[in-house]
Amino acid sequence: MWLHVRLSEVCLFLQAMFILACCFSDMESGPIATSGSVQPNGDRFKIEGRAIVPGVKTQDWISSARVTVEGEEYIGFLGTDGSFVVNDVPSGSYVVEVISPGYKFGAVRVDITSKGKMRARLVNFIKTSEVIRQPYPLQLRSSGPRTYLMKRETWGWTDFLMNPMVMMMVLPLLIIVLLPKVVNTNDPEMRKEMEQSMNMLNPNPELPDVSEFMTKLFSGSKSSSSKAIGGSKASGRPAVKRRWCQNITCTSGLRNYCNWSCHGNYNAIFKKSFFIRLYNCFLSRVFFPSSEIQVCK
Amino acid sequence: MKPPAKMSKPTSLFVIFFSLFVMSEAVFEDQVGKFDWRQQYVGKTLFAHFDSHSQSSKKLFLATDKNIFASFNSRTGELFWRHVDKAGPEGTIDILLLHGQDALMVVGGGRLLRSWDTNMGGLNWEAVLDTGSFQAACFVAMQDTVKHVAVLKKAAISLHYLTNGHQKWVENLPDSDTVQYQAVYSGGEEEVYVLGVVPNSHLTIIAYSLEDGEIIKQRSVEAPWLSSVESSCVVVGHGVLMCVDTATLALYALPIQSLDLEVSPGFQPVLVSSQPHPARSPISEFFLQLGPDHHVLLQLNADGYTIAPLRDFQPAFLVSFSTTGEKTVAAVMTPKNETVKKKKNVACAINLFSADSGRRLLDTTVIFPLDLNGGKPFKLYVHAFLKKDDSVGYRVLVQTQDHALTFIQQPGRVVWTREEALADVVTMEMVDLPLTGTQAELEGEFGKKADGLFPMVLKRLSSQVILLQAWLAHLWKLFYEARKPHGQVKNEVTIETLSRDEFNLQKMMVMVTASGKLFGIDSKSGSILWKHYLENVQPNAVFKLIVQRTTAHFPHPPQCTLLIKDKDTGLASLHVFNPIFGRKSHIAPPALPRPILQSLLLPVIDQDYAKVLLLVDDQYKVTAFPSTKNVLQQLQEMASSIFFYLIRSDQGNLSGFRLRKDLSTERIWEVVLPTEVQKIVAVNGKRPNEHVHSQGRVMGDRSVLYKYLNPNLLAVVTESTDAHPERAFVGVFLVDGVTGRIIHEAVQRKARGPVHFVHSENWVVYEYWNTKSRRNEFSVLELFEGTELYNSTVFSSLDRPHLPQVLQQTYIFPSPITTMEATLTEKGITSRHLLVGLPSGAILSLPKMFLDPRRPEVVTEHSREENLIPYAPEMPIRTEWFINYNQTVARVKGIYTAPSGLESTCLVVAYGLDIYQTRVYPSKQFDVLKDDYDYVLISSVLFALFFATMISKRLAQVKLLNRAWR
Repeated sequence: MWLHVRLSEVCLFLQAMFILACCFSDMESGPIATSGSVQPNGDRFKIEGRAIVPGVKTQDWISSARVTVEGEEYIGFLGTDGSFVVNDVPSGSYVVEVISPGYKFGAVRVDITSKGKMRARLVNFIKTSEVIRQPYPLQLRSSGPRTYLMKRETWGWTDFLMNPMVMMMVLPLLIIVLLPKVVNTNDPEMRKEMEQSMNMLNPNPELPDVSEFMTKLFSGSKSSSSKAIGGSKASGRPAVKRRWCQNITCTSGLRNYCNWSCHGNYNAIFKKSFFIRLYNCFLSRVFFPSSEIQVCK
Repeated sequence: MKPPAKMSKPTSLFVIFFSLFVMSEAVFEDQVGKFDWRQQYVGKTLFAHFDSHSQSSKKLFLATDKNIFASFNSRTGELFWRHVDKAGPEGTIDILLLHGQDALMVVGGGRLLRSWDTNMGGLNWEAVLDTGSFQAACFVAMQDTVKHVAVLKKAAISLHYLTNGHQKWVENLPDSDTVQYQAVYSGGEEEVYVLGVVPNSHLTIIAYSLEDGEIIKQRSVEAPWLSSVESSCVVVGHGVLMCVDTATLALYALPIQSLDLEVSPGFQPVLVSSQPHPARSPISEFFLQLGPDHHVLLQLNADGYTIAPLRDFQPAFLVSFSTTGEKTVAAVMTPKNETVKKKKNVACAINLFSADSGRRLLDTTVIFPLDLNGGKPFKLYVHAFLKKDDSVGYRVLVQTQDHALTFIQQPGRVVWTREEALADVVTMEMVDLPLTGTQAELEGEFGKKADGLFPMVLKRLSSQVILLQAWLAHLWKLFYEARKPHGQVKNEVTIETLSRDEFNLQKMMVMVTASGKLFGIDSKSGSILWKHYLENVQPNAVFKLIVQRTTAHFPHPPQCTLLIKDKDTGLASLHVFNPIFGRKSHIAPPALPRPILQSLLLPVIDQDYAKVLLLVDDQYKVTAFPSTKNVLQQLQEMASSIFFYLIRSDQGNLSGFRLRKDLSTERIWEVVLPTEVQKIVAVNGKRPNEHVHSQGRVMGDRSVLYKYLNPNLLAVVTESTDAHPERAFVGVFLVDGVTGRIIHEAVQRKARGPVHFVHSENWVVYEYWNTKSRRNEFSVLELFEGTELYNSTVFSSLDRPHLPQVLQQTYIFPSPITTMEATLTEKGITSRHLLVGLPSGAILSLPKMFLDPRRPEVVTEHSREENLIPYAPEMPIRTEWFINYNQTVARVKGIYTAPSGLESTCLVVAYGLDIYQTRVYPSKQFDVLKDDYDYVLISSVLFALFFATMISKRLAQVKLLNRAWR
């Protein structure tokens, strides 16, 4: 690598005519001189630039700021107008930073050839040879004050109530409380309608889908005799309920509750559990995407 | 080893996401200044100027040996601003001149000329000077206005404009190879005079024209007695050069006049003169110092030939001139009375004398106590001003030998004191504070043997009563103080009131400074509780501070030992003291006639509970301290298990020794790292007070990866002697200190130092400079025994057949670093963080989790289970992780960590130019209620629930009753 650099330097010397055009091309392959080591016949150069903190007077921040080149290898101070010069820098590649305890500044990499030609580019530690040119003399603009401190989380009623999770819990609760009062659940037709709409809510691919269920239901009612209607009604409902129970999707947080509702006596608690299940399904739909849904039992 | 150049975006996003959730380390807004403090220092003063620009100005400008230019508030001693230049000879301040609002500085041995705007603290301009070593500089005035500055170098003189620093002219000095040019002078005429000397031959005076730098006059004066212009010549009056002949004590004002004065034997007489304004000639009065405390005020008569003594001052420590308006006064510092010299404090008096008559001015005496323990007064800086009634008032800055600055105002009030020795802390320790009487009583209850049930109960009850009493007294004190106005309540910490707090968070910081001054600082408030100046410490001495006995062994006082070693000769001496009070112990340390190579503190204790310190001299003989019979007997018994190592970095030699029964040693192993290839930079073992809580790590598949916890492991870092970027390398060797076995060897190619590293538990983290990619890289080595432990009960270096498995990973760190340390807690349960000092003065708390060689490149189920962060080549630096927020610590040299009584809390002291003390909670405060614990919310919820149950109970009753009625 070193040889290559030396050779390319020699080449550059020979092709003096093209120096202006191509003197930077060899920089990609490696440093011409490392920082810190002084070239035997090398000259010293200066890095110039200007730092600006928008909206802040210079006297408010320059006294605590300084310019560092490659750590503390070379140090410059800021002038009263925010400009700076770092003198006595040998050729090489350096990271130039404005350090101020109050304000953020981005770092810039400055390459100085042995001829003293300067170039500024963005610092990229991963792709070290990548060149995204920056203006030279450097124009460093602060991106704002530094944030060192974290804000404490404070607790307020409004924060609590406006929390989306709480909203999701409260709204369905209201539905549960209010819906039975609005809709007459004792009406069997209404109930059936709701059962169907419930199933519509649950398009779970692992489970028999609604159409299948409907065909079963209809074929069953068609095939059965008229005297068995009452019986089929009586036996059909538990079946439906069992299906429901399977349809009720839940995650670990809701599992206990779900288990309880699966094992319970459906006929007895139907009136209430229907809405609980409705609520459950609603919750599971809202909170958990289909991939994470498990079927209880 | 090398981080892959490409980084997939999702990974980095994931890391950021992860870090947002994982990271707890940040300072909250309300914690600012709650348990942390910072003290800023500047170092030993070289030049000091008062701002005489306006009468009411409070500014004081200092230039120091730490290459700092600072502006102070002279009323409070606080910093206005401070500019920290590069350390070392490239940033040294050669001279500081003040003119109006501008401060002029020559930096780096005549490298740069800088002009500062003292009002704003910004740079006016900076000019590069021609090469050549700096000799002198002065302002040059023309028609009563100062427009130029002249800089004299070894072989050239140059004149610069004050407004922009541009060079007006530069002239080579004639015969610069034989003549030593040492002084430059301008008295307001159109000429600049350069004074040079050929030692013991003649004096050369050259006058340059201000306009174009032409030589107007050149004159040479025979002066065979003169060796240096700088030390023995001053310009007095209208261009009269006054020189003192040290041999015969004659004063030469060109016509030679011999004075009838007696000089102290072996003392070089010193001349002090004053030039109040660069546009005018110096005053014709001057001081001649004849002995360490003997000064004479002399006057050059108007004829310019005769000298008349005005007043003789003996004893007088220091003298200084000061000018205000048209009046020039001389301040003289004298000891108040000689008789009280035995005491620690000596009262000093400062008087003002009129310079032109030598008469004492009325009402100008200032008497103040001077701590002679801090060394002699060294320099006096006087700021005189005219009062409303046209009399002269003044303020004085006294600099003593221990670098302390004391600011005194009339009448005899010490306004502030700055202990500038603390700008160069070399080493430090934190010592637990002693228990109070009641605490000791409580602790004593557990220590004693049980003597029956009933007495135990009684004792417990009595101690509870004592506690209750103390609590009531505390409450009463709170109540009493609450009635007082706020300003009067002073919670001053004194040595007498010091006692340990509940969680052992407050400790005594014992700090050793390079100047040989020791300090005891309260870690809670930062106030200096004691100081002790060791007078005859060589400037190049190295220090090692050892805590031999902690405060836990009441009634034996705690004991610290400071090993002071001369770097050149290797001869050492011990200073034994009590770390709480700073007093020198009456225990006589052993005489050490031979150079000391190594010191080691054994866990063996003598009958007074002091740990035994072993000192190995250059003949490999061992001296024990304390060396009582008991200790020697114990040493004999366990001699075969005491091992130590020696490093000879100049020979590239690392060798291990074992102690013999007769306190001689035998070499048992040796590792040679050839010095032609590489040199040993640093060797570091583990900290002896470090605890490791968990023996292994549970992996994703529920198996355990056991850590290789070798307490004798040494990390040896080497750097290649070849500094070429392509061939340079950094080596890390892990060597067992008992057997000399090389456990692991890692070589980082195309890398160079400075290497910073931390060695702890089963890992080594090191940082180096990658010469190829020009960036700093962190590398972590972790050692594991594998999934099975060889011997789970005890670790023996002699019986470990299997080499550990070593994992390594490397990361890019986007900033250079200055120092590195790991947090330390009481039991080692809390997760570890690395504290990294950055050149910007910030201290970054970097979770060790980021430096884990098991960070996977591809996330799997197992790695997620283990909470491993996916690998990302670049280490993040977030300003929220800066534990010192905007309280930057300039030139961080060391970070000291100490455990507190709370497992979650680690005490941190960062020192360099400044001192910063804080606490860190690497795993948050899991063992105490947090600062933001919401008592109101919790209690209100509790009360609400309580009332809700009451009401619902009542309602249920009513309902039941109603149902029963139905």
